[in-house]
Formats: sequence, structure tokens, C-alpha cells
Amino acid sequence: MTLPILPTTVVGSYSMPGWLERLKTEFYARRISRRDLDEIHDTAVKAAIKDQEIAGLDIISDGELRRDNMIDYFAERLPGVQIDHASKKFHYDFYDSKVLGKLPMAPLGLVEDVKFLRANTDRATKFCVTGPHSLAKRIRNEYYPSEQEFAMDIAHVMNPELKAIAKAGAQFIQIDEPNYSGFPEDLPWGVKALNALVEGVDAKIAVHICYGNRYGKPSWEGSYAYLLPGILDANVQQLTLEFARRGGEDLKLFRELPPRLELGIGVIDVKTQAVETPHLVAERIRKALEVIPAERLFILPDCGCLHLGRDVAFGKLCAMVEGTRMVRKELKG
Amino acid sequence: MILQLNHLQRKSAASTTQEVVDTLYSLLEEGQLEQEQFARLRVHLDWIQYRHNFRECVMAATAISEPHKQHSPLEMHIDTRQVTPGALRGEILRTMTSGETPAPAQERVLLEDFQSFRESIAWGFNRLYWHRLADWENFTGRGYEQALPGGKSDANHPVAVADCVGDFWTLIRDLDSRKQLPEEIFVLEIGVGMGTRSGLWLDRFRKLDEERGTKYYPRLKFLLGDYSLATLERSRPAVKNHLDLCSFIVLDALNPLKNLAFLRHKILHIHLTNVYDNLPDEEFTRRDGKLYAVQVRAYVPGPDAQRISEQLQMPAANIPRTVHRLLEGGPDYLNDRNRGLAFWQEVWKAMRLEERLVNLEDLPDVALPTGLHQEKLEEVLQGAPSDVRFHASSGALESFQNTVPLLHPRGFLQVQDIFVTNFNEYRLGFHGPGKLDGSIVNWVNGVLLREVGERAGYDVHFAPFHYRKGSRTSILYTTQRE
Repeated sequence: MTLPILPTTVVGSYSMPGWLERLKTEFYARRISRRDLDEIHDTAVKAAIKDQEIAGLDIISDGELRRDNMIDYFAERLPGVQIDHASKKFHYDFYDSKVLGKLPMAPLGLVEDVKFLRANTDRATKFCVTGPHSLAKRIRNEYYPSEQEFAMDIAHVMNPELKAIAKAGAQFIQIDEPNYSGFPEDLPWGVKALNALVEGVDAKIAVHICYGNRYGKPSWEGSYAYLLPGILDANVQQLTLEFARRGGEDLKLFRELPPRLELGIGVIDVKTQAVETPHLVAERIRKALEVIPAERLFILPDCGCLHLGRDVAFGKLCAMVEGTRMVRKELKG
Repeated sequence: MILQLNHLQRKSAASTTQEVVDTLYSLLEEGQLEQEQFARLRVHLDWIQYRHNFRECVMAATAISEPHKQHSPLEMHIDTRQVTPGALRGEILRTMTSGETPAPAQERVLLEDFQSFRESIAWGFNRLYWHRLADWENFTGRGYEQALPGGKSDANHPVAVADCVGDFWTLIRDLDSRKQLPEEIFVLEIGVGMGTRSGLWLDRFRKLDEERGTKYYPRLKFLLGDYSLATLERSRPAVKNHLDLCSFIVLDALNPLKNLAFLRHKILHIHLTNVYDNLPDEEFTRRDGKLYAVQVRAYVPGPDAQRISEQLQMPAANIPRTVHRLLEGGPDYLNDRNRGLAFWQEVWKAMRLEERLVNLEDLPDVALPTGLHQEKLEEVLQGAPSDVRFHASSGALESFQNTVPLLHPRGFLQVQDIFVTNFNEYRLGFHGPGKLDGSIVNWVNGVLLREVGERAGYDVHFAPFHYRKGSRTSILYTTQRE
């Protein structure tokens, strides 16, 4: 994977079109078939990939357009998790899901998504997976003695899947753990579960930690100070954090980040429909360069673009790429 | 013909009903009403709730959805309180035969063309009222709260305020225990009126904070927001003991985010009382499976125009122009402020709204309220009575959607107002618009609010205001959903 300096990428999701939302609802109402929905998803994912390519991103995701939300896509695939399919009104809501016994080992079927992504772009790719802490916080645990034990078992069940994903060509895997910010006291065991999840996975691993993006809104507020030093125990190569909406005040916390760790910085606020200018993006990058060298800096939106209109999401990504180019030029002198 | 009878007054409308039926049959037999018109007519009796409103004794709404067919009234509304013996036949005949063409000036003086109620000149009067409230009150000799049912606002009920403060304290205590309480604790009250509720809230909060020794009070930033600077000034004395932590901000309740964008996701509690019911609105109606927008045209009835003309010594034909200048420049436009106020009050009192129904399919550019898509509206209506007329509450929906982004992720929004929380309620009576002194009052469509709120990621609940027996208000309580 040869990348330019300050590589640009998404956090995972791309704009969810209104028509796709409605078609998903049609599927739940049994008015269109699974086969039709799969075709619709394939088409939507190809369009999302194309938009990212046109915008000029260096690392492409599948836009996560097959997913209802960051929990259910995995909860439905985790063996042993029971789902009440009547428990949600909008596709984006969470199912009422629970675990009543020990999770059995079985594949989750994510490899096909990776293969589809790889088949539809020549660029470097990234695949995102919700982490065990966030899943354990949302899936009701009625079996394990503690959340920690539940999360560890999720990690053990998902670990072979991540290895298979890497084998299928995912060069870059991002683990999403936004719930760390809501439950900072869980960080020690959350990191242990994360390490169990990625153990032996042959890919570059990032962990994305934001302050939530449910319905395009934050779920918590606070400071990233809670991450340190606990997050340094994570066996990952990159931290991907939210700075655009919250301002760059917390950047200084990462001045002493060990050289083995890269920092992915959010330079696009995904909780507003206002499109940033390339100049603003460049300014945010320059601020980050004051605390971390360019060789260890990745450029991203704060979080997924799921809740942005397609034009807005595309405009923001274009601005992000253009702002990054401006800084790259400056770095070249 | 479908006859819809309600029983909203103390006395039933049985005798009027008989008279209405007899009159319509006789018009049919005399050939003044066609069989087809008769068959598709829906007549509502006894549907007026507000004593002061925009309706005549009998009014009809014509559908204009079928261009090749003669326009014929689809709905007829009869206010049994206004019916005088012997006048009903004439009134019904007048409404059944009057078309869209402007009536002769001796019958009515038109103030505008047909349009959505939201765009109607009526809201210009409403705006003027709030901007020139002091002038209005001086002229009438009574404060606006006296115009409220019961003569005072439920917003200021001390137990309700204390409960709200208690909930708020619990919230910030919880955040504090998780080390997630921001240094500055923002609270926003929109539509502060005389500031009474804000004053009560702050008094109570300080007392509770002192009792529990939590030291949150000095960290409080209390924002008083109102549409009118004059109103904000009047609220100042009510919070005089807390001025150090109060800010007074002119803002439009339709879009608080515009002025307060710097507080996005930061405000822990937002409260509004009797604001939504006074925001621009429009109505829709579903008849025979079709959805219609209700368009209105404001006018002054001929006899009232004549009276105003004589009283203020101006030609009746000049009333529309004078009204527009009044709304632009206030009562001083008429040189003598008292003369301007008299004109304002007389026109407002006399003003009525004609109605017509326009099929939504014929209005490709129809703007549904922010956040409400036609598919969603149709989905909601699946659970509603087949023929129903309802408020879109577009102003309330707009306000809601432009307010909730200010909420801290754990914050809550409380709105105390008059809500319709089930479409069936629309069959039980008239829910506005009415005239409340110089302003407009309209019930708020809580069903649509709940739908739009849920889709935007908020849980929206309604609870009756149980603090005063007989209160018609409810409390909307909103938090971010997980």
C-alpha cells in the first residue's frame, strides 16, 4: 500500500441516500425481496466507492451502506445473539438484541463485503468493524457474569473473522469503539477486548474513538484526556479521533504519542451540513502538525458521513482532499 | 352528504341540525344545489372552540383539484353559536353559491390572495402584536396574560417549576458523578413573557443547590430568549436577583440555532411555554383518499368594513392598503397612535378567512414542514380517520428541529403547550386557529412532532399538565434517543 503523505480516507460510512432508507423500509415491510435489496446495496456501494474516488480519497471504504447501523449489522451476524426483529421502527434504530448463552464460534460472513470492495476499486481499501466494547454495551447480556467477559468472548468469536478479512485483502482495518467516550471507566478492559479482537490479524489496525454520531448527534461530551495512558496498551497502529467539531484543544494531549502510533485526525465536522472550505481543512491539519509529524498523520472526517446529504458529504470530502493537497504542497516547500 | 355533529357546547345543536338538513334539502329540490354537490358535501356542526376566531357563521371550502369540473364546496362548517334564527338559509345559500371570484366590496373587503395560512397576513398581525405589545396593552387596559383562559399562565405554576428544577438537578448531579458535567451549565428559556417562570426557576434552583450543598448555581448560565426586545426588557425585573448569570437574547423561536449556534450540543435544559401554539401554521385535510392543502384568503366583512370606514373616516376601499402600511410601520403610521391602534384592533376583530382546498398533487412545490416527507405523512395518516382535517404545525416542527441541536447529548427539552396527540382528537372539535387578544392561537399537532422527532433521533413524550385541574395544556418532554 503506497500512500502519499497525509493520506486521506473516510471513517467508514458514506451518505445514506433517502431512497435507500425507504427501500430498506420496504424490505422490512416485505414489499421487496432479499435478492432485490442485495442488488440495491451492491449498486449503492459501487456509487459510494465511485464518489470517494472522484473526491480523490487515497483509501476507500464501501460506505457501509449495507449496514442499518454500527451495531445491528454485527449483532445479526454474531452467532448466539437473539434479535427481536419487531423491535425497531426505523432501519437506523437498534434492534432489541440479547445473548442468553455462550457465544458459539462461527463465521460472521463479512469477507464477502471485503471482496466486493476490493473488486470495485484499484485504490487502497479500508474495512471497518464495530469493536467488542461497543457491541457489549448495546447487546443485552443475560448470560455472562460481566460486560467485560461478554466483550472478551465477542472478541474471541470475531477474531477469526478479522483474520479472514485480512486474508481476503483488507489492508487496513478500523475498529470502531465510540462507547469508550461514554464509559471511560471501562477503558482498561475495553482495550483488553480490543487486543483480543486484533490478535494475529495481518493488517494495519486503527481504532476509531469519537463522541458518538447517532442520528448525526454526539452521544457524550468531554475530553480525550481519559484515553491516556490506557489507550497506549492497545495493539493498534493508529488512533482515529474527532477534532473538527470539538476544536483542536485536545490535540496537545497526543504530543507525546509513541512513534509506533499514527494519528488519524477528524478535520470535517459530520454533525453539520455546512461544507468546510479547503482553507479551513488546511488550517486544522496545520494545527495537528504542531503536535505530530506529517509521516504519522492521516486525514479523515470526524466520524461517518451517514447522516449527511449526499451532496454535502461529497462536498466535504472534496474540501478535505483539497485542503490536504494545500498542506502537502507547503510540506514539499 | 355526511353530517358531522359534535357536542362541544352546553346545549346540543339538535334544532340547528334539523334546520341545516331542511335547508339543504330544500336547496336541492329548488335546483340551487346539484345532486352531485349534495352527495359529496360534508357538513360540520358545532366545531368552533375559540370564541374569537376567523370564521363566519357558515363557511364552505371549495376543492379546486379537478380543473374540468365545476368547483363545488366539499366542506361546510357551521358555528352554531353564531347562528341567528331565520338567517341560516341565507347564509348557507351564500356560501354554496359564492365562487373564488372576489365578492363585491359591499360584501367583503379582501386583504390578500389565496395562499397557505402560514403566509397569510394574519401572521403579520400576530407579529405586530408581540412587537407592539405595550401599546396594545395600554390601549386595551389589560395585560396579555389576562387574555389567557383562567387569566394566568400555567407556565408559572410553582409546583411544576419545582419539579422541573428537581429533574434538572438530578440530571446534572448524575453527569457530575460521571465527571461529564461541563464547567458552564447552560439553560435556555424561549418565550420568556414577563420572566415570571425564569425567576421562579432560578429561585428554586438556587435554594435546592444551597440545601444540597452542590455549588452548581454559580456555574449556571441562564439564557432568556424572546422574539421581542421589549418583552425581554420587561422580563428583567423578574430575574433581578440572578442578573449575574442571566443573558437576554433576541431570537426567533422558529430558529434559535441561528443566534445560538455557538452553543450547539451544549445546553442542558431548554424550556418553552405557549410558544408553539403561536407559531405560523397551516392545515391539511384528507377527503375521499385525497390530501388537500387548505389555502386561505383574509378579508373584512362588508358591514364591518363600512363600520370601520365610518369610525375612522377613511374609505372602505383604503382598508387593505392601510392594513399593509400598519403592519409595516406600526400604529404610528396613521399619524395619531390611538387612531392607529383603534384601526388595528377593529380590523383584527373583524378579520375572517375564506378557505379553499387544493389537492397536493396539483401543488408540486408544496412545502411540507421541515423534516416531514410526504411518504412519512401518508404513513402517519394510515392510522388516522379516513377523512380528517389537521394542522401541519409547520412552525412548531421548524422550531423543534432548530432547537434540539442545541441540546447537550444528555440534555432535555420541555415544551408546555396545547397538543393534539392523536389524530382522532381532530374529530372531537375545533383546534384553532383562534384569536387570543391580538395574537393567534393554534393547537399543535403532537403526532407529527413525535414522528419528526423520532426520525431525527429524539424520543418525544407527552404528559398532561396535572398541576392544575382542567388545564388543557400538556408537557412535551424530549431527550436524545440512544
